[in-house]
Amino acid sequence: MYSFDFARPTSVADAVAALGQEDAQALSGGQTLIPTLKQRLASPSVLVSLSAIADLKGVSAEGGTLSIGAGTTHATVAAEAGAYPALAELAGQIGDPAVRNRGTIGGSIANNDPSACYPAAALGSGATIVTNSREIAADDYFQGMFTTALEEGEIITAVRFPIPEKAAYIKFQQPASRFALVGVYVSKGAGGVRVAVTGASNDGVFRWSEAEAALAGDFSAGAVEGLAAPSGADMISDLHGSGDYRAHLVKVLTKRAVAKANG
Amino acid sequence: MKDTFTMDCPQPRLLDETHQGVIGTGMDRPDGPQKVSGTAPYTADNPTEGVAHGALVRATVTRGRVAGIDRASIANLPGVIDVITDPRMTRNPAQGMAGEAPVQPGDAVHYHGQPIALVVAETFEAARDAAQRLKVTYTTENAAVTPENGEHEVGEPDAAGDFQRAFDSAEVQLDREYTTPSQVSAAMEPHAAIAEWKGNEVTLRAAQQMVRFNKAELADTLGIDESQVRILSPFVGGGFGSKLGLGPEAAAACIASQKLGRPVRVVMPRQTVFDCVLRRSETKQRVRLGATKDGRLTAISHDDQVSNLDGEGFAEPTSQASQFLYGADGLSFTQTVARIAATPAGSVRAPGEAVGMLAFESAVDELAQELGMDPLELRLKNIPATHPLDGRPYSVRRLADCLTGGAERFGWKDRAVKREGDWLVGMGMASAARSNMLVKSAARVRLTGDRAVVETDMTDIGTGTYAILAQITAEMLGLPPAQVEVRLGDSDLPGASGSGGSFGANSAGSATFLAAKDLRGQIAERLGCAVDDLTLQDGRARGANREVALSELVEAELTAEATIEAGETAETHFSSGFGAHFAEVAVNEWTGEVRVRRMLGVMAMGRILNEKTARSQAIGGMVWGIGGALTEEMVNDSRDGHVVTRDLANYHVAAHADVPRDMQVVFLEERDDWANPIQTKGIGELGISGAGAAVLNAIAHATGVRIYDFPATPDKVIAALEAKG
Ligand SMILES: Cc1cc2nc3c(=O)[nH]c(=O)nc-3n(C[C@H](O)[C@H](O)[C@H](O)COP(=O)(O)OP(=O)(O)OC[C@H]3O[C@@H](n4cnc5c(N)ncnc54)[C@H](O)[C@@H]3O)c2cc1C
Repeated sequence: MYSFDFARPTSVADAVAALGQEDAQALSGGQTLIPTLKQRLASPSVLVSLSAIADLKGVSAEGGTLSIGAGTTHATVAAEAGAYPALAELAGQIGDPAVRNRGTIGGSIANNDPSACYPAAALGSGATIVTNSREIAADDYFQGMFTTALEEGEIITAVRFPIPEKAAYIKFQQPASRFALVGVYVSKGAGGVRVAVTGASNDGVFRWSEAEAALAGDFSAGAVEGLAAPSGADMISDLHGSGDYRAHLVKVLTKRAVAKANG
Repeated sequence: MKDTFTMDCPQPRLLDETHQGVIGTGMDRPDGPQKVSGTAPYTADNPTEGVAHGALVRATVTRGRVAGIDRASIANLPGVIDVITDPRMTRNPAQGMAGEAPVQPGDAVHYHGQPIALVVAETFEAARDAAQRLKVTYTTENAAVTPENGEHEVGEPDAAGDFQRAFDSAEVQLDREYTTPSQVSAAMEPHAAIAEWKGNEVTLRAAQQMVRFNKAELADTLGIDESQVRILSPFVGGGFGSKLGLGPEAAAACIASQKLGRPVRVVMPRQTVFDCVLRRSETKQRVRLGATKDGRLTAISHDDQVSNLDGEGFAEPTSQASQFLYGADGLSFTQTVARIAATPAGSVRAPGEAVGMLAFESAVDELAQELGMDPLELRLKNIPATHPLDGRPYSVRRLADCLTGGAERFGWKDRAVKREGDWLVGMGMASAARSNMLVKSAARVRLTGDRAVVETDMTDIGTGTYAILAQITAEMLGLPPAQVEVRLGDSDLPGASGSGGSFGANSAGSATFLAAKDLRGQIAERLGCAVDDLTLQDGRARGANREVALSELVEAELTAEATIEAGETAETHFSSGFGAHFAEVAVNEWTGEVRVRRMLGVMAMGRILNEKTARSQAIGGMVWGIGGALTEEMVNDSRDGHVVTRDLANYHVAAHADVPRDMQVVFLEERDDWANPIQTKGIGELGISGAGAAVLNAIAHATGVRIYDFPATPDKVIAALEAKG
């Protein structure tokens, strides 16, 4: 790890100002960023901790929408997002207790790791990413592996989820880290059916549109049965599984997720 | 010192006649409370006044020379003391039992990740930081990093009869190729060393398995006399082969400490452990079996290709167990070693059997399937009368009992493929075998009153040496084990075999036994009775119509030292542990996940010295079997050979969640009179040998498909299921 300056502002405005300095970077739960610094894959000159900003914390449900402050930990979401059970369950399965007690939804969404869970929930629910300066629809926000619509110095303040009628997340865990080898999030709500896939594609989280179309008319596992799995050619191939295997899992997990959403 | 006892003929089973009743019991480890409370001082835990910290700088090229080290590039970092380079530094750990310095490469680089210098600083963090920042320039050369491209050295076959003829004329033939990846020991404690000089003598605290050999290796490395070297390894946090030989961290710590005139500590970070500790070679294996239609094996061949770095004599003995498990008219075993520029290979727990039996016992299982025969029957039918290659009789072999007894307990005959939802459930089995050895070993036992002390440089690498040496001594001298103190891992004590090849308990245990036996003679003399009439129990000596407390009889210390080594019985008889593994697995037909539901290992491994530590060893071995079958895979970059899987998130060792609750181990009563005077056999490695094959054979039973490229990860299982359609 290289040396850096450390700031701990108490308001979003101060944080935005602090992030205006050269080579400044936001730090939330640190569950991704600290290991990244240790491996010397990043060397910001200033770290701006968001952990002292009270406005970024908390879970609230109102009028069919669940709002989660960007600085809310996975453990808190697991415990307090009862209004949206599929999301609470997802949060409760992230990593291990240490990761859940430190890591935050804002950090996860900002990072957009191709195997992370929250991006699937956000895209699979049609969520809105709220920042210090604007609101971004999930469909526009996720732009490829580790790439998002965030501008330099922009801070996520909250994520708003429309609560669907039905939803479920199934993740196939990489046995050691418990990250998703593949994870599928399905939902059926006012905005229609969404199927979001994480862990599989070289382009990060994506919507499996063929499955969405098939499920729109018939929201049952059987509706997915006749589909061909998406092509393995664009899928991640690594130590933990080939692209073809991941493609295969997308279909298997989608069926399971639909069955689970239907209870 | 007494003459060396050589094992030339069977010895009386004295441990069955003594009266203390502690041998074989599942006595708790005397060192257990220290270990679970974190007070057992492992190497790096020892506070050392004035210690400086070293971090190994490692090559970032595959082959070539270090052209320049820019000391100025780190000179201004706070806390940095020096960059040490030295012609005595070593390239990698010594091979097990080498007893001489490993390759000392000077400025040559032979593999990516090789230690090339040591940065020493006031803190571990500063040393590691500076080691990573140090600017090094290289000249580079091309080198093969994959076994396909490496130079191949083809060995002479081990053979008996005419394999080719037997195979060609066999009624049923099976010819299969298998691959296994490199594996690592992944001991919990990373390699660590603390060196300190006094005058021209060095004391090294180190995580080592074989102190007697390590002492010679260190002296040779440093170019000094063995009398100037002291090594202390009283607690070792797992070895599994990786700490057999003196490691580069130990050599570097000694050299740096000598140059700087202060103690130096070097602890390898996990990534360094993966990069420059000896790995298990990847293997490519071809198994050919010929049989008659009614299941008599007529031809057995098991050829393998393994790899290593130039200058390393070790080659994974892949076909070791295949050479003596079953008989045939013709047998042939040929090994090829590919020379590659990658982390060198060496002994990792159960070298040979751990990966060789995955392939061989899979092939035997598949042959049974082709013959339409119960795989258990096929194995039972082909147990040879004598060693198939050299005709030696087996010392004692209960393979058939293990197979039939295990089948009975496991419910083998009721096996049928079951479907439970998406899960296909099946059963598999395999034979287990691991040859047994006796290695030269010495020990001293001292008795004062009713308290004894055992002294040997033998190590306890988590296996239970402290427990069993206390039990042997307590049993022989008629003492409660709490009255026996065991001192280990100090090179100033009598030199033992060290921990390796599952021969530690046999060898160090026998030396301890012989020393205690000598003391029994001395006690009998004092009591005035013949030693055969002596009874020792609970601190009292009885004989010749007298009964005296040892505290009265032995007021001044009695001492005995004994040395044992293998003798004629090793030539006249072939000794091996045998067993049978059974596994029930569930395979998810949609995801290819394999869950091991239950496992049973039935083993005959000579006299069991401690039921509890033996069981732990056997279960630990079976867990390794699961890892080898399903998860463990070390990956090297095919361009420059560097290790890609450098942590335990990318190299997945079977964890609790992968291991079934129902893991049973049954020991069959056995005494090996030909093995050693305590009638034991090696334990630790038999648990692995064949265990993974049982899991793989259960997958085949459950799904009807076989995998030949191990481990059987879910993607491979699905690909095989899809290929079957
Ligand atoms: C062992 C382990 C297992 C894990 N398993 C899983 C898993 O199963 N599923 C899963 O989804 N994740 C997993 N994670 C990742 C974990 O969820 C991280 O906590 C999360 O990805 C990042 O959140 P954080 O709060 O820790 O962010 P940090 O590490 O602090 O920051 C991550 C990035 O986001 C930026 N950032 C942080 N907050 C904001 C903000 N409000 N606005 C803008 N940018 C911001 C930072 O600058 C940085 O670039 C695991 C992590 C570990 C260590």
